[in-house]
This record gives sequence, C-alpha cells and structure tokens, in this order.
Amino acid sequence: MVDPALALSVFGLMVAALAVVFWPRRGVYARFAHVARLTERVRLEDALKHVYTWEQAGRVTTLESLAGRLEISTVRSAKLLQRLTELGLVHAGDESPSLSEDGRDTALRLVRTHRLWERYLADRTGVPATEWHDEAERVEHDLSAEQAEALSARLGHPRWDPHGDPIPTPSGDMPEVEQLSLAGALPGRTVAIVHLEDEPREIFDTLLTQGLHLGGRLEVVSRDNKRVRVASGGREWSVGLVAARNVTVRVLAEGESAEGPSETLADLSPGEVGRVLDLSPACRGPQRRRLLDLGVVKGTEITAEMASAAGDPVAYLIRGALIALRRGQAEWVLVERVEAPAEIAS
Amino acid sequence: MPTLAASPCGSCAQHRAQSLVKLGLSPDKWDYLVALAGNPNVGKSTVFNALTGLRQHTGNWPGKTVVRAEGAFEHDGSRVKVVDLPGTYSLQAGSVDEEVARDFVLFGRPDVTVVVVDATRLERNLNLVLQIREITDRVVVFLNLIDEARRHGIAIDVKKLEKELGVPVVQGIAREGVGIDELLAAVHGVVTGTRSGQQLRVARHVPKVEQAITDLVPVIEQVFPEVPNPRWVALRLLNADEAVQEAVRTGELGQLSRDDTGDTVDLAPEAGRERVLDAAMHLRWDLPPDFHDVVTQRAYEAAEEVAARVQMGGLKKAGFAFDRKLDAWLTSRVLGFPLMLLILAAVFWITIEGANVPSSMLANLLVENGRPWLHGIAAALSLPWWLDGFLIDGVYLATAWVIAVMLPPMAIFFPLFTLLEDFGYLPRVAFNLDSMFQKAGAHGKQALTMCMGFGCNAAGVVATRVIDSPRERLIAIITNNFSLCNGRWPTQILIATIFIGALAPSQFGGLVSASAVVSIALLGIVMMFLSSWILSRTVLRGEATSFSLELPPYRPPRVLQTLYTSVIDRTLIVLWRAVIFAIPAGAVIWLISNISVVGLTLAHHAVGWLEPGGLLLGMNGVILLAYVVAIPANEIVIPTILMLTVLTGTGTGGEGAGVMFEFGSVDVTGNLLRDGGWTLLTAVNLMLFSLLHNPCSTTIYTIYRETRSTKWTTVATLMPVAMGVTVCFLVTQVWRLLAA
Repeated sequence: MVDPALALSVFGLMVAALAVVFWPRRGVYARFAHVARLTERVRLEDALKHVYTWEQAGRVTTLESLAGRLEISTVRSAKLLQRLTELGLVHAGDESPSLSEDGRDTALRLVRTHRLWERYLADRTGVPATEWHDEAERVEHDLSAEQAEALSARLGHPRWDPHGDPIPTPSGDMPEVEQLSLAGALPGRTVAIVHLEDEPREIFDTLLTQGLHLGGRLEVVSRDNKRVRVASGGREWSVGLVAARNVTVRVLAEGESAEGPSETLADLSPGEVGRVLDLSPACRGPQRRRLLDLGVVKGTEITAEMASAAGDPVAYLIRGALIALRRGQAEWVLVERVEAPAEIAS
Repeated sequence: MPTLAASPCGSCAQHRAQSLVKLGLSPDKWDYLVALAGNPNVGKSTVFNALTGLRQHTGNWPGKTVVRAEGAFEHDGSRVKVVDLPGTYSLQAGSVDEEVARDFVLFGRPDVTVVVVDATRLERNLNLVLQIREITDRVVVFLNLIDEARRHGIAIDVKKLEKELGVPVVQGIAREGVGIDELLAAVHGVVTGTRSGQQLRVARHVPKVEQAITDLVPVIEQVFPEVPNPRWVALRLLNADEAVQEAVRTGELGQLSRDDTGDTVDLAPEAGRERVLDAAMHLRWDLPPDFHDVVTQRAYEAAEEVAARVQMGGLKKAGFAFDRKLDAWLTSRVLGFPLMLLILAAVFWITIEGANVPSSMLANLLVENGRPWLHGIAAALSLPWWLDGFLIDGVYLATAWVIAVMLPPMAIFFPLFTLLEDFGYLPRVAFNLDSMFQKAGAHGKQALTMCMGFGCNAAGVVATRVIDSPRERLIAIITNNFSLCNGRWPTQILIATIFIGALAPSQFGGLVSASAVVSIALLGIVMMFLSSWILSRTVLRGEATSFSLELPPYRPPRVLQTLYTSVIDRTLIVLWRAVIFAIPAGAVIWLISNISVVGLTLAHHAVGWLEPGGLLLGMNGVILLAYVVAIPANEIVIPTILMLTVLTGTGTGGEGAGVMFEFGSVDVTGNLLRDGGWTLLTAVNLMLFSLLHNPCSTTIYTIYRETRSTKWTTVATLMPVAMGVTVCFLVTQVWRLLAA
C-alpha cells in the first residue's frame, strides 16, 4: 500500500502546480493568454480609439498621450501612428494626427461594439459594474460587425450603454449629448446623473463608493475650486473637482421633482404598505421587465408581508400575489409609505 | 350546436361522458386546437387533466409545467387537441418556459386560447387576459378557483366581465370538475363562430407612444394587410420584441392571420418587411426612455379598472389569515430551518423504514423464487447454458434486482414529496434557502430543482427551466447531480446498514444508519452550494441576479389523487427507465464475466487494472468497475459490486460466474463484502463516491438537451467525478495516516 504521507505530499504538490498554472489573472496560463491577445491589430485598434476619444474631447493626441494610454514606449507609439497613417486611417497632420473618414468609421464601430457589450454585461449577466469596462475592452476586438449586429438585435437595439453613453448606430450616427460636468453645475440646482466616466478606473471606483449612480439625483449645495458639495436623500457630502469632472449631469427643470424619493421597498417592515413611485434606473434589462411584469409599476400598493428564515428575501403582497424579492431588488423600488388599510376580516 | 347551459348535474362525470370522450395521448389528428394559457399556478394543468383525462402532474408551485403538454379529447364529434402551456405573467417572455407559452399563443395559431384565471387574484390575472385579447379575439376565459374566491369573500360578476372583455367567461372549480362542461360549450361556440369575440376597447397610451403607434400602424397595414392586430404588432416592434421582429423579417407575420380555407397567404415583399422594421427602429429613438415602464403600467391600470368594475361586494382584499399564521412558523427565524430539516428527515426516515419490508418481499419473490423457476423453464426448453445464463442470470436478475430495490422507496418517497408539493411547502423551502443560494451566486429556485433532484436528477435538470437567468440556470443544471437521487438511495441505505448501523447497539442501528444517510444527503447539499459558489466565481462569473418567487396560498393536498398520480406517473416512469437501462447492463455484466481472454475473464482483467487506483481511493477495483458498468443507471451499482466480488474473490458461494448476487439478507451481503476485504473505510468511501460521481447517462443526455453545449455537459459530467476522487483520496489517506 502507498504510504499515506507520501500520497498526501504528492497530492499537495499537484494542487500547488495546478494553482500556479491556472490561477485566475496571475497564473501562468492567464498571463500567457493576456500577452497572446495583444496582437498588432489590437494595438492598432486601441491606438485608433485613443485618437478618437481625444478628438471627441477636443484634445490633441501626442506620442506621449498614446504611450501613456497603451502603456508602451513613445518609440512604439510613433510606430503605431506611422502604421495607422499608412493604412489611411489617420492623417498625419503637422501639429497632430487626425482621423480620416475610414478611421472614424472604424473607431465608431469599436465604440459601438464596446458599448453594446457593456450593455450586454449589465443587462444579461451578473458581472459587477467595475468589470464591465475591462471585459468590453477585450471583446471589442473580437466581435465581427455581424456579431455586433446580432448582439444588438438580441438586446433590442439599445440606445445607451449602462454608463449613459449613446451607442453609435451601425451607420455611425450618434445623438449629440449635452455635456455638463458636475464640476460645472451651478449651486442651488438639482441635477440628474446621466453619465459616469469609467476611465480612469480609480476615479470610477471612487465615484461608485461615494454612492453616485446613473440616474441618481443630486442637489448642488456649493462649489469652490477644490470640491463640489452635493446633497441627496438627506445626506450631504463633497466630491473632489477631479472626480466631479468625470460625472456628467443634466440640470433638472424646476418642475421635475427636486428631491428624489429616498425610501425603497426594502425599508418597509412586515405589515407596512408602500406605493410605488418609480423603479431605479440601476434596475435594467430583463430584471426591470420582470419586476414590471410582476406588477411593480408606478402607483401599485405593495405590502411587506414576511421575511424568510434568513431575513432575506422578503415576501411582498403585490396585486394579490405573494412574491418574494431579494433585498437588492427591493432597493430598486422607490416607494412612499401609505397608511396600512384596516384589516378586513375574511 | 347545442349550447349547454349550466345545469345542476354539470359537474357529474356521467353527464359529461355523454358528450366528452377523453382521448388521452392521441393527438395525431384534430379538428381544432385549444391552447391553455394563464399566470403561473392558477390550475392550468388541472383544467388540462379534466379535459383530456390525462394525469399531467400538477403541483402547488409556480412553474410546475415547464414544457408544454399535449393531449386530446372528443367533444360533440370533433376531435380537439389541447396544449397546456407553462404559466406566464405577461407576453413579454423572460424565461425559457415563458417563451414557450408566448410563442405558442403567437405562432402556434390555436383556434381558441383558453385563459385560466385565478378568481382570487383577478386584477393580476386580467393583465395577461388583456394582453392575449390584444392579439386575438378567439379567447375563452375560465375563472378557476371560485370556491377559494368565495371563501375569501370575493364575488365576480361574470356577465359584466364578459361584456368588459368581449369574450365568453366561464366560472368553475377545475379540480372538482365544476364548470368544465360550460367551458367546452364556450370553446365550441368560439370555434364554430356562434360565440365570437368582439373588438376590445384598447388601452390608450401616453401621447408620445400613441404618436409612434399611429405612425407605425399604416406601414404595417400596408405591408401586412391581413394582420388582425396591427396596433399590437406596432407596440411590440417599438418594444424591439425579438420574436415579433423575426416574424416580420421572415414574413411569417402575414401568415399568422387565420384563414379557414387553409391557403397560405402570399408572403409580403421583402422590401416592405424591411421598411416596417426600419420605421420601427427610427420611431424608437423618439420614444421616452421609460417607454416600456409606461406601457406595462398602462396595461396594469387597464386590468385594475376592469377588475374594479366586475368585483362585487365590499371585501376586495383577500384574507389569508391561516396562511400567514402557518408561514409565520415555517419561515420564522428561529423555527424555519429546524422545521425544514425535520420535515426532510421525516420523509427520508419514513422512506427508509417503510421500504425495508416490501423490498425483501419483492427480492424473495423475484429472485429467490423467480429465478429458480425460470431456470426450471429454461431446462425444460433445454436452452444452451450460455443463453440460459445470459437471459436469466444476466438480464432477468439485473431487472429483478432493480425492481426489488427501487420500487418500494420510490412508491413511498414520491407520494410524500408530492403531498408537500401539493400543499405548497416547496416554494417556502426555496424562500428560506434563497439567501444561501444568493451567497453562492445562484438562484433561489435552485432549491426547487434540487428537491426534484432527490427524486431523479434528469427531472431536476428539466425543472431548471423555471430559472429565468441563463447563468444561474446553468449553475443549477451542473450542480443538480449533488442531489442524491433515487437510484443512489438504496446503495446508501444498504451500505450504511451493513457497515455503520452495525457499529451501534442493535436497537439504535436503524437510527444510526438513517442519520448516516441523511448526513450524506446533507453533504450533497453542502457540495452543491460549494460548487455553485466556485462556479460563480470562476467559469460562470457573475453576481446573483434577478429573482422572484411566488409563494402560492396553501391548499389542502388531495391525498388519494396524489397517491394515484405520483405512483402512476412518477414512480412507474422512473422505474421503467431504470429497467430499460438495467437490461443491457445485466447483459454486459454477464458477458464480461463469462468471456475469457488469455485465461482470465474480461472482468478479471478490468478489476486488475483498476485495483491500484481503487486502493488509492480507499475502495477497490471491483467498485470502480461497477461504476463504469453502471453509468447507464446508478441503481445497479450494488448488484454489480456483489457479483464482481463473488467472481473475483477467493471462491465464496456456489453461484456460477456472472450471477448477480441476490440481496436476500443484509447479513449475507455483509459477510460477503467483509470476505472481499471491505472495511468501514471502504464503506465510507463507497458512500461518498456514490454521492460524488458522474450523473447517469439519462441525466447526461438531458443536460446536453437542455444546454445544447458539449462544453457544459462535459463540465457537469466530469466535475463531480473529480470532486469524488479528491474527497475519497483525502479521506482515505488521512484515515490511514491517523490509523497508523
């Protein structure tokens, strides 16, 4: 019989070896795959996108900016620009490179695929928000135009990505969006967040942790040259100017409800009744449809009936049916409390 | 056509027998096609059974019917085909089962769609009725559960509802057969045109939406002049409904309009079809962003208005005082989980205890007496030894053993399980367990499919269709195998009785072995959570997403009917499957132990090959070979092991080679295994490996059919084997290390 101590040691070594090879992200295999996918084409497409985004932002692409974006040397970025020019995608101007007609089309196709994929991840998968961008950065190079079309059809031809950016149509049209950053909003106005810039990643993460989310409403309290002070749902806090520049907002008209409703279904204790005011914009795609289908629409009165043995989910009486919802879902449903009707004996 | 007015003897079966001939499952030819639609858990399957005389399984949890069931009956000389559709809240299809329902109403072209409505939740149900009414006028509404409604103080003005909806409305109690005649008459009336539906007053939408519809409708009417519901099509196209877009793209939409001559309408020109899609896409850009919300809200408001007009009496709110009281116990923080475990343990205990006696009676009848009797006949016919051995010692014995071991536990387990299901307890289990599933990144309804898996993994895999998000559904499919299925219970019970129960004083033996089996089942649940967690963090990455679970009201279970349907449907079907797989397996076992190559039988060779691996895992070559042979059906593992042990052992017993050893008495079996070198460690590992190994071939095939993916089928097949090998290896080595 094999010595058990020996057998266990061999087993341990095998597990360790497998872990070294297959560990997600840091394993040998993952690293190899990462390098393998950075082909010349991917680099070129990334460079093209950089030129496009900087052009959109009214900034001038330089070798340094490109090198910084792609994490390569300026020598390599010069080579990349050279190659783009040869392909007729970029006009090498005296001052700065600019996109040709072809270049713009290609860039828009990449942007379209990128945003469609983000939309897909947000709507149809449970991939967390912080990972959408990175995933889409990979996939945008892999999908063909036909595949992107099929995806778009499957998603019901969405118009916006989950960050609030418009998705260009196949012909490259894109609605102009009024751009106003939170940093530029005047104190005293109420704004709705229409876009959260997902790059750089650190700032995006900060924004998320500060509780800023797409569709959220903020009252701009004051502004100085370092930070913007905002209030929402009875809470007041400051956002640094750098971060605020990455938040695009729409100023709400006087008529639109100034103070967004802050109570959600999850705030109701068993026995309490709430009337649905709205569904949070964070609730998207099939999840939103499912809630609507269940009868969670504006004006529906919902009674919290009972919590499960573990406290979550909670069962709600929605239009005559007892339906269990998870806390995360209940938090999407904005409600105002109503007096519970006197119980009618049956 | 005679219209059958409601008559006092309407619910009497004899009365109905005059006009209704139930044809069961013979829906080859039919004069007209009836679809049964409705919200989940309103009793569609019950209505289906009442009509067709079939015993489509019914249960008190939403999503019971995941595939459409078909049946037929004859009424007044016409053959009617009935299709029972999965329940759906709306026609905007979300999960697979809902799509089945929606597509059938849309594209299956039923002559009549019967919408079954739960009278206690009229408003919610009317939402679907109105949506179906927008598509077609050929609708009959069956107001089910009026007895429950009455109990809750709800009364509905049927005449008024008919007027509101513009289609016939029939009230009844499907499970008692009340109202089925009137339903048939109404269906017949709609088919023959004597009771046709009237145009429905359409719900108006907000101006922007109305504008878009008004713009789109002329385009549709121009391209598809035959379409009866251009307004509805316009709304669906604006909503980017994939199925409807596809129907426009292929021109199928033009053919949906019924023409009784059976001619197909000419396809609309392709350019026109593209024009419709283009127009819809352009209009979509100008719609308000919350367009879908607004439309759904409007639909519910319309349902609310209708409901308010037809509900009589002051008691609008249904009271469920008893339900709430029971729920307070069953879902309470303190008692919820202990009660659940208690109920689970009770079901297993009753199964184990109750199955003992009939099992040995069957074994006695089929094996001890049946086999010599058959041998006698074979001798009388002077069959050659190999044919006699192949047929009786191979094929017959395998089958007999499977019946003896499987029938009694199944005949007890399934009815008990069905009673719980009927009562409405299962959704509460899912409700209680959901937070754990959520942490594992899975769907709470996986609790339901897991419970189904305790009966049969293949059934559990099919049941995952109720899970509406694809990622979670895949997790549920892959991990279903960790529910200890019926085919594996006997193995667990037998081995636990011989090796673990024997450790305790005899009066506690039964209890100890029962708890050993329950521990293995619980370990399976733990493994299920663990592997769900691992999957949702690696290959199936993502967070727990959409979840909604309807908790139906408790309903008193119908004991006799449950016994009948669960024995006939579930038990016999599963048993039949096992028998089909046992026959070839028995043949294979007999062959490999009787065909010799280089002086040794094939079985000897294989056991020799597998022995070192088996020892490393604390088992032996025989057990591993048995698992290979038993891939078609888990239930034949034990007989195979016994036979191979006899064969390759040191010459115990007088049986000929290739005889599946009979399970006459537990003691004999135990002695045989101990002679074969088995220890407590072997037993523990066998129990672990029985839990953690590949699914049976039926389940593997079902997984492939449900996922349509070789990759995921492979994962689902190999992952449990890898886990089983690892667990057995670690247990064995650590055990030996400690013992040394």
